[in-house]
Amino acid sequence: MQREEIQRQILTILEDLFEFENPGLNDNLRDDHGFDSIDAIELLGEIEKILGFSLTRAEKEKAMTIRTINDILDYIEVIASEHNK
Amino acid sequence: MKRRVVITECSAITPIGYAKDDIVRSLKEGISGVKPLRDDGLLTDYIHSRVFGTVDYPIAYDFKRLYRKTMGPVAFYACQVAKDILERAGLGQEFISSGRLGVAFSSTHGSPSIQRHIYKTFFSNLKSEFSSIGAVDYLKSMVHTTAVNITRMFGITGRVIASSTACTTSSQSIGFGYEMVKYGMQDAMICGGADEYDTTAVAVFDNLLACSVAYNDNPECTPRPFDRKRDGLVVGEGAGAVLLEEYESARKRGANILAEVIGFACNNNGGDLILPNIDGIITTLRLALDDAGIEAADVDFVSAHATATKMGDVIESQAIAAVYGDSPLITGLKSYMGHTMGACGAIELILTMYMMEQGFIAPTLNLENVDERCGMINHARKLTATDTNIAAIQNFAFGGVNTCLLIKNGSAIS
Repeated sequence: MQREEIQRQILTILEDLFEFENPGLNDNLRDDHGFDSIDAIELLGEIEKILGFSLTRAEKEKAMTIRTINDILDYIEVIASEHNK
Repeated sequence: MKRRVVITECSAITPIGYAKDDIVRSLKEGISGVKPLRDDGLLTDYIHSRVFGTVDYPIAYDFKRLYRKTMGPVAFYACQVAKDILERAGLGQEFISSGRLGVAFSSTHGSPSIQRHIYKTFFSNLKSEFSSIGAVDYLKSMVHTTAVNITRMFGITGRVIASSTACTTSSQSIGFGYEMVKYGMQDAMICGGADEYDTTAVAVFDNLLACSVAYNDNPECTPRPFDRKRDGLVVGEGAGAVLLEEYESARKRGANILAEVIGFACNNNGGDLILPNIDGIITTLRLALDDAGIEAADVDFVSAHATATKMGDVIESQAIAAVYGDSPLITGLKSYMGHTMGACGAIELILTMYMMEQGFIAPTLNLENVDERCGMINHARKLTATDTNIAAIQNFAFGGVNTCLLIKNGSAIS
């Protein structure tokens, strides 16, 4: 999946499900949009749907360093790449 | 330290309305909120009782996602009635977050619809569902979900009491909240209960042969408390919340005093978990009178638990007669909306306050021919214009829990 397509899907999720207003790729998720640990776990469920497979616990723990939307996109690209090896 | 405790705000979402005017009109005009059971795709095909006390009007919730994300349907009800009373009271955020305002609120067992979602995941192929048990499903379904969603939404930092005791859930909430304020542990309490649309509750009572089944084609004709042709209870949904405040501080801030809680009692039958127990009920009613320091003759009106089960109504009538004789008017308010489970005590107290304020007592709906075994008490058979000074609200639950709340009309408080 191309990064542009991942970005489109993630922005749709953040706007529709998480009610982000005017999300920017380098916005701080917590400071700019009130994104918290509960949201992070919910988002991982949505990311699993995009990827089409379940994330391992180790993969989920790696997501806890995510701070921006660009970080989310990087995270998905890396996980997808490792899964396809 | 014993302090006076007053009710300064209230709000109820009920099968007969949300706004006070709608509820009062239903009580005055004998309008029932019992409707046909909705198909929920899980149990309805196996349930014999096809009626439910239904909230079938839209409610315009205005909760941000920040709060919505931890709320199941039952918490929406709870937060809405809590929001109503806090907005109307106009309490400052400094007091709300001072630790002197607490919450006593609960439901029968959290959010059954969210619990069903979790169980469905277990019984499906988990791998294909990914993380289908959401991160917040527990927060939405846990037994104290109503209380803590209220504290979260409004930044309340005082005590939390979540007494989930089936049909006495919210009468205990109000009683325990009253004791918190009376004995100086808190200065104010948001108290009440809620339960959402839930056919599993119908299935449970249906299985125990306690649900009404003879009026499936005429839902408004059931339940029929104290009537010869009653055939069981009708499960319902709803929510009720009251704001309890210490009398002096409520008076100083110019609050409108709706009623004073003058007595509360709660006990257990100490035995069977289902059958009503006349000794346990009589003891509760007398303990409440003792707590209030009044005589039985001082009570003008009794809101009976009156679920319309065959034995429950008889035992309750006998207990009322033993304590009060045939003096106070008796109404079974469940006749209008069914048994709203964890919400019933709060809703029935609020409806009693509405009737007190407006100077009338509504009759028990569908009471056409009084069962002679229930005939020794003063049933309200017609809409009665009367001033009620003191009222008793009594509720009894599976598990042998009994409660009685005594309230005094706000207009009679000096």
